[in-house]
Amino acid sequence: MSAAGAHTQIVDRSRLAVWLGSAPGAVYLLAVLSIGLTILTPNFFSIANLTNVTLQIAVLVIVALGMTLVILTEGIDLSLGPVLGLCGVVMGMMVVTDWPLWMALGAAVLIGAAFGVVNGTLVSYVDMPPFIVTLGTFGIAQSLATMLTEGNSVTGLPEYVRWFNDGAPLGIPVPLWATAAVFALTYVLLYHTKFGRYTFAIGGNRRALVLSGSNARFYQVLVYVYAGVLAALASFIMTARLNAAHPTIGVGLEFDAIAAVILGGTSFEKGRGGIIGTLIGALAVGVLRNGLNLMGVSTEWQVAIVGLIIIGAVSLDSIRGHYS
Amino acid sequence: MKITRRSFATGAVALGSAAATGTLSAPAFAQGKKPTVAFFVKNVTNPFWKACRIGAEKAAKELNIDLEVVAPTKPDNIEEQTRLVEDWIVKKPDAFVFVPVDYKALVPSIQKANKAGIPIINYNNKMTDIDKVTFIGSDDELFEYEMCKYLFKSLGGKGKIVHIDGVPAAITAQMRKKGFERAVQETPGIEVLASQPGQYRRLPAQQVFENLMQRFPDIDAVVSANDDMAVGVVEALHAAGRGGKTKVVGIDGIPDAIQAIADGKMFATVDFSGHDQSYLAVQAAVRTLKGEKVPPEILLPVFIIDKDNVAKVARTPEERGVPSWDKTIKS
Amino acid sequence: MSVAAASRPSALMFGLSPDRLFVVLSRIVALTALIVVLSILSPHFLTWNNLINVLRHAVPLFIMSAGLTLVVLTAGIDLSVGAVLGLAACLAASLIAGGHPSLGIAAALGAGLACGLVNGLLVSYARIPSFIATYGMLWIANGMAYVFMQGEVIYGLPAGFRSIGTGMFGPIPVPILIMLGTLLILHVIMHRTPFGVGVYAIGGNPVAARLSGMPVRRRLVIVYALSGFMASFAGLIVIARTNAADVSLGEEQLLPAIAAVCLGGTSLFGGVGGVAGTAVGALILALVLNGMNLLGVKTFWQAGVLGLIILLSVLADQVVGGRINRTST
Repeated sequence: MSAAGAHTQIVDRSRLAVWLGSAPGAVYLLAVLSIGLTILTPNFFSIANLTNVTLQIAVLVIVALGMTLVILTEGIDLSLGPVLGLCGVVMGMMVVTDWPLWMALGAAVLIGAAFGVVNGTLVSYVDMPPFIVTLGTFGIAQSLATMLTEGNSVTGLPEYVRWFNDGAPLGIPVPLWATAAVFALTYVLLYHTKFGRYTFAIGGNRRALVLSGSNARFYQVLVYVYAGVLAALASFIMTARLNAAHPTIGVGLEFDAIAAVILGGTSFEKGRGGIIGTLIGALAVGVLRNGLNLMGVSTEWQVAIVGLIIIGAVSLDSIRGHYS
Repeated sequence: MKITRRSFATGAVALGSAAATGTLSAPAFAQGKKPTVAFFVKNVTNPFWKACRIGAEKAAKELNIDLEVVAPTKPDNIEEQTRLVEDWIVKKPDAFVFVPVDYKALVPSIQKANKAGIPIINYNNKMTDIDKVTFIGSDDELFEYEMCKYLFKSLGGKGKIVHIDGVPAAITAQMRKKGFERAVQETPGIEVLASQPGQYRRLPAQQVFENLMQRFPDIDAVVSANDDMAVGVVEALHAAGRGGKTKVVGIDGIPDAIQAIADGKMFATVDFSGHDQSYLAVQAAVRTLKGEKVPPEILLPVFIIDKDNVAKVARTPEERGVPSWDKTIKS
Repeated sequence: MSVAAASRPSALMFGLSPDRLFVVLSRIVALTALIVVLSILSPHFLTWNNLINVLRHAVPLFIMSAGLTLVVLTAGIDLSVGAVLGLAACLAASLIAGGHPSLGIAAALGAGLACGLVNGLLVSYARIPSFIATYGMLWIANGMAYVFMQGEVIYGLPAGFRSIGTGMFGPIPVPILIMLGTLLILHVIMHRTPFGVGVYAIGGNPVAARLSGMPVRRRLVIVYALSGFMASFAGLIVIARTNAADVSLGEEQLLPAIAAVCLGGTSLFGGVGGVAGTAVGALILALVLNGMNLLGVKTFWQAGVLGLIILLSVLADQVVGGRINRTST
């Protein structure tokens, strides 16, 4: 994508057209997988299964949306997984001891935001590499979460929690409503607010922004805060799904989110990309995993295949000049 | 030095109704189609689950059914096993033989399987709040209790003990720890120097124990929540030249532990036979499908392996004989 | 500072610029403080046995982190080191236990080299971000290990091989000799050969590196290949010590490896740091973990402690180093 393409993203016109013309690997991956699976397995293209897949990736999508913004600023957030675990555990423990739901949710959001503030400040104002900062907070969040429950799950949640997974207003499951809402919110934030413009700009040319005296640093912190808040929201969906909260539930999630973002075309450099790509990337990951299960591929081979596909998809992008 | 045998769990009468609620899908046999059973394990990294797989496959071969082994790619991953259950519900096998990675967190997805009418045979880690045809396993608390009593007796009722715990969140580890504590309480001469988790894995347990050896120059015995860790402890002891002075016990009966007992490096272990449990679980699945009544709970007896009987014990799960269904039910 | 002093290049002591000097001094202080504190808190710490223990733990950690250091020096990252260690360990263990020691060692090192080569090609020629490329490799290496092991654990390696992990050369344990030897060789390569100096340049000043005409792409490939090789080498040492191999061996090694690199003062921005620092970092880490065990700290605190160490060490380097640089220009 040329510089003109990058500029077009900040303006809302013709974004779709430009993007389709240089669709990221995830689109092709998704297409190939969907067609292939429909042919190879009888179960893939059924309402039950497709509903399953969409529900399964709900949490991933929410986290990946936050991650997209972070990566757009040329950063990365490895702490989102354990932060999700920590938020889930805190929320679970509060709800079990009869705190009102809104306070439990509020506490979780505060925790997510707090980690975001720490991450963002260290990256933005102290100029530390995001990989290192979030690796550090990854460990800290992990230990805090495990310490709170001594490694156990939080169970015995009140009945109403299940509704957040099983409930289906207007026939659409609650997690899908939640994902749609978060997507809409992120869309508006990214493409129609100053915050969004800064997000793209920081990725593109942070130094110039800082030197020009703008508030770039502050907005960069906000990006990490947003990612943390989304992780908190996602933890709630996850807890409802399992009817339990577990400190290690988020382990590996941040890497899946990063994979979804990268497959979706957002690159680590130059602030290019967007959340529609992330959505498709997450879908691709979800369909891949689902497909491997439906085809009965042995676990051992699944692990290797996932790696091959990630590298394959990204190599394809590279060949098409995405990384030069 | 005697082989102790214990009778099975109580409460079978009260739970009798549970067996009847296991929904049947006799049609699989009626149509002459080979039934498919989805056999879940926690991971593909711990040899314990390989032994389970072998036991299940023996039953599958005997009963002429299709067995599919299902495991998460990230070992013991809750979210992944949830997804696996959901994906397999779509595939509609004739039964699930299931062990949960987390006995609470997997409840909602198994309840979905209940709703889909798939019979659930729960093995190894007991789940509650779900409809299951039966639970086949072992009483972890009892196993560890018996192992410790046996060990403490051989120490003359007193000594300094180190306890290596498993994965703290796992129900088996929690129950085994309870059994350990019960035995310690009943034996006042026993002093517990430390209790640290080894995560049920050899290398972490070995490292933890190496450090504990520095703190405590005199350790009379080590109670390890499983054999994989126990063997690591034995290695650490021998590397430090303290092999002869410390007795090590574990649970499981894995090949390397049996070898260590035969070599005199390890004191004893309890046969926690994943192999037998899985064999019986698959048997239970097929019998349910055929319309047979199956007891709501089947617990395997305590069987201590030490140097007196180690020669008679099969080394690997492949060589092992399968338990007899009828004999197991009767006793 | 006077104007005259300000116009000189940053004052050098022992050939180090002030911010690097801070890194070195702070680590020495930290190491000393740690030893003193642990000796006070635990009577078992300062025993010969325990210290040898600590060093034994530090050796495979150092070797793996040393390879990782080279990658980080080029402003990249290698997430696959743990998985490669595990794969190599499994390959070696099964072949060695089966009576083919040299084949086992060759297979392990070959596998590590191969994985590293692929990483290098992906990063260097396909220009895929190192994060994603090595992440994909992590999955592939794990998968291959799973397929190969089929859930088995390999036990019982022959004593000759095991002496690598448990043997003594006089009063000194063999692993420690291996560590010192590796440190020496790598240090010489990195500071006295065009290759090594080039690697520093690739990370520190990529534009200049390219313009200088050095074979940047080829050197990058070699760097990643070395990282894979070192990881597999570390795997050999691990199985020599534990006398067993299973697929989960490498899982928990990644975070400590990165921590060791950061603790050692190598910057993730590239071009700054070195293997010697990583050695000190590995030592400090091994001491911290040992201390935690001796003091009975619950193991779930380990991740948090590692995280905190990473944060604090890099923070300190950043803040203090930055301040020193600002005041001296």
